[in-house]
Amino acid sequence: MQTDVLVIGAGPAGLAAALAAAEHGAEVLLVDRESRPGGILKQCIHDGFGVIRYEEKLTGPEYAFRDIEAIRAAGLEVLNNTFVLDLKQSVDGFSLLLQNPINGAFRVDTKALVAATGCRERTSRQVFIHGDRPAGIYSAGTAQNLINLHGYLPGRRVAILGSGDIGMIMARRLSLEGAEVVGVYEIKSEPSGLTRNRVQCLEDYNIPLHLNTTVTRVHGTKRVTGVSVAAVGADLKALHDSEKFVPCDTLLLSVGLIPENDILEPLDPEFDAKTGGPLVDQRMLTSVPGLFSCGNATHVNDMVDYVSESGFIAGKSAAEYVQCGWKRGNIEVSPGENLLYIVPQRLVSGKEAVIYFRSVKTMDRVTLVAQAAGKELFRKKYLRIRPPEMQKIVLQALPPETESVEISLGEVT
Amino acid sequence: MPAELRTVKKALAAASLAEVEVMERQGAVILEGRVKNWQQYLEAGYAAVGRGFRGVVNDLEVEGLESTKQQGESSHDDFSLEKYSFDVVIIGGGVIGCAIARELTRYNISVALLEKESDLARHTSSRNNGMIHPAMAVKYGTKKHYYNLHGNRMYDQVAEELGFDLSWPGQLALLEKSWHLLLTPLIKSNADKKEVRGVRVLNRRQVKDYEQNVGDGQRGSIYMPESGVVSPYQVTVCYAENAIQNGASVYVNTRVTGFQREHSRVTGVCTNRGVLRAGVVINAAGVWADRIAEMAGDRFYTIHPRKGVIAILDKKTGASQRMVLGRAPLSSKALTKGGGLTPLLHGNILAGPTADEVYGREDYTTSPEELQFIKERHLPLNKTLDSDNIITYFAGTRACTFEEDFIVEASKYVDNLVHVAGIQSPGLASAPAIAVDVYQITGKILSKQMDLKANPDYNPVRKSAPEPGKLSLGERNRLIANNPAYGKIVCRCELVSEGEIVDTINAPLPAKTVDAVKWRTRAGMGRCQGGFCTPAVLNILARETGRKVTEVCKHEPGSELILGKTRDKGCEQSAN
Repeated sequence: MQTDVLVIGAGPAGLAAALAAAEHGAEVLLVDRESRPGGILKQCIHDGFGVIRYEEKLTGPEYAFRDIEAIRAAGLEVLNNTFVLDLKQSVDGFSLLLQNPINGAFRVDTKALVAATGCRERTSRQVFIHGDRPAGIYSAGTAQNLINLHGYLPGRRVAILGSGDIGMIMARRLSLEGAEVVGVYEIKSEPSGLTRNRVQCLEDYNIPLHLNTTVTRVHGTKRVTGVSVAAVGADLKALHDSEKFVPCDTLLLSVGLIPENDILEPLDPEFDAKTGGPLVDQRMLTSVPGLFSCGNATHVNDMVDYVSESGFIAGKSAAEYVQCGWKRGNIEVSPGENLLYIVPQRLVSGKEAVIYFRSVKTMDRVTLVAQAAGKELFRKKYLRIRPPEMQKIVLQALPPETESVEISLGEVT
Repeated sequence: MPAELRTVKKALAAASLAEVEVMERQGAVILEGRVKNWQQYLEAGYAAVGRGFRGVVNDLEVEGLESTKQQGESSHDDFSLEKYSFDVVIIGGGVIGCAIARELTRYNISVALLEKESDLARHTSSRNNGMIHPAMAVKYGTKKHYYNLHGNRMYDQVAEELGFDLSWPGQLALLEKSWHLLLTPLIKSNADKKEVRGVRVLNRRQVKDYEQNVGDGQRGSIYMPESGVVSPYQVTVCYAENAIQNGASVYVNTRVTGFQREHSRVTGVCTNRGVLRAGVVINAAGVWADRIAEMAGDRFYTIHPRKGVIAILDKKTGASQRMVLGRAPLSSKALTKGGGLTPLLHGNILAGPTADEVYGREDYTTSPEELQFIKERHLPLNKTLDSDNIITYFAGTRACTFEEDFIVEASKYVDNLVHVAGIQSPGLASAPAIAVDVYQITGKILSKQMDLKANPDYNPVRKSAPEPGKLSLGERNRLIANNPAYGKIVCRCELVSEGEIVDTINAPLPAKTVDAVKWRTRAGMGRCQGGFCTPAVLNILARETGRKVTEVCKHEPGSELILGKTRDKGCEQSAN
């Protein structure tokens, strides 16, 4: 089997990439490991999706449905229940070993590859929760899956560690399902999710948010019987004098997402330690010729609209790559003062670039400045900027002699 | 007071434990009274060792500690096993009990194995580093050495017969001081005496050649090629499955609560599921073996648990190391603080275990301090590792006696009881050899009470379900064409198909819990730790076992994962 562009993952990024690649004349194959396309959107039955792209508040399944319909209308092939068993570079692209229940294991060759593999959740062990291993410890996304896709209630009295968006959304969801959320515990001094979720999911439901507090231990051997919580000092270490026992039958974790790129290991692309995703240019091309990355596999986005946007860029670029075969841009974009990360991390000259970034901390009245060789390229003022809220700017095409671009965030002067 | 007791008294006094009372019963020394803390309890036990007694029974009470009860009250109380009769009843479904069960099916006798938990290998047998040790770290002349040496040599054959995975990566015991190289002749003669083959001492540069990522600070190494790695859980289950295929009965959720005795014989084994008649009783009860021995009427040893915490690292790390890495126990305290880095069968590296004396026999809680010890002591042995690689961690306990040797013998006071106790490290390596010895010992007892013959249908080869991951593409595709469930991947991280999960739920020894499925198939063992596959595994378990999803447990009864359907409580409220 052979194709021009193979897209791995039929979540919002992959759906957009497949559509864009087809629109730009490529033969496309979209493979997904689940039985239905849509990715994690399938279990996100709350609203708020599409406010930028459609200027509407859709639910996750509604948002996904629009892209899935477009895929059907375009007559694109989607292989569900399909797993990538092996992936390697070939003479003119990539060779994949795929497997599904209908076709068994089979090889596909492709000229360009788009990795839209999303992310996974950080586990209780990765944040070093101690105690025994009773039932009742779930990541927020697993709980969301159980409740929204299966109608199962994973707990009745729930403590939540971490104030990521999924955690706060699940706090509301569990309350609506008759469970009691005893508290959301956040080790940092401010919530790590969007402000709108803090207001709509916690405050509106009288769910207490405990900042500068963490869970130090899980109690119980069969089922969770409670957790120990403690205030933390400036070094984020628990102050054991403040430790107290909170009875509950469930601990939910919303402690961060990790871009899932393990599948790419055999190709060995360059990675950005800050984002956990491959280093890309504004066409979403990685250091491996023909390998594109998009969506939450590149970096964890705050809004699905941006995930789709990067998918469209990756898909269009992949189709163009099949025809032209260009290489990744090498103009380095470095995050300067007060920036946590920037995507893309590389640029190619002569082409406009959509740039996403996050700040290191919450800041008021700041200015973003992009410079190349001491010359200012872009400037924008922000009244308030918070790390959970990703920002986007558009940078004009750079002249070919540009070596590097520095972007930084400073107080208004 | 006899002379032996006086020497015990003297040793106790030397340890400032003069108030401990000593007496003798059935050839064992009994310690009674009250001490202030667990440390004193241990000191008293060790002080009584080697004073001419059969063993140490430490019945000291410890201030502030209640006597440990067995974990969990069974919810399976019934009389379903009442009046069942077996030629042999084995107590304990760890690797030792299961290996013995399989060996005993070579006789034409009825064999039952009783396990108090919901699955086999719930305790020590699944909470260790899976290492088949070379017989180097054990004292020459001990039972430990004998069984370790012979068990190690049996593993290739047993793996072949039972169809479990086994690798022989070899081991480097790193030397911390340059002068340790001067011990080379001693190390070699020690290896010769213990009959361990291929042992060599490597200098610092040679170590680098063998293992390029070895941490700094090593000054050479003892190289031991006869070091193997297995999945201890898989070994246990394979032994049990082969035993079942050869006619043995395995009963889980079956807890021994006492014995019926007539004269010097045990006649009945009392359990939460009724009283079983038994021709011979084999005590392979792990950390509870002394309690079983006491109930059976011949206790001469004490089990005191030694806890070990283990961390598992992401599969990505596997390529960075070939061999088991540890520190040579030359200058450190030999009893404790072993452990190191073990390359596991599926690409993960295991770090640990720690070794700490604890009070709780089934206390598997971990603490930040224990994990910190692993991070500081074990991870640096391979300089490419750091704590971000850790995907999970857990604890186990070792069933140690004060004598620190294995007990594998027929009881001197009960005619039809066999002790297989104190099986701590290297118990896994020793299991095949221990099982063969217990087969002999049991045969001797049985032949006095029945006409003992070989089982004509005994087949040492375990029949097993297909493993798609090990098949060629063509074979795999034929399997999937026959049953598409083998083509549907449920566990993303470990590539486990629905077909394999269904097979394990319907196996001779059915996996009925999420943990049982996980430990048999690896579904949920990967880097996402079940985040993605748990809902699917729950549904498959409910479907295949005909239970409601709210009845599916993680492990023991009481560990249900789902507490209800959505809105059930919400509906109640709105109805009010």
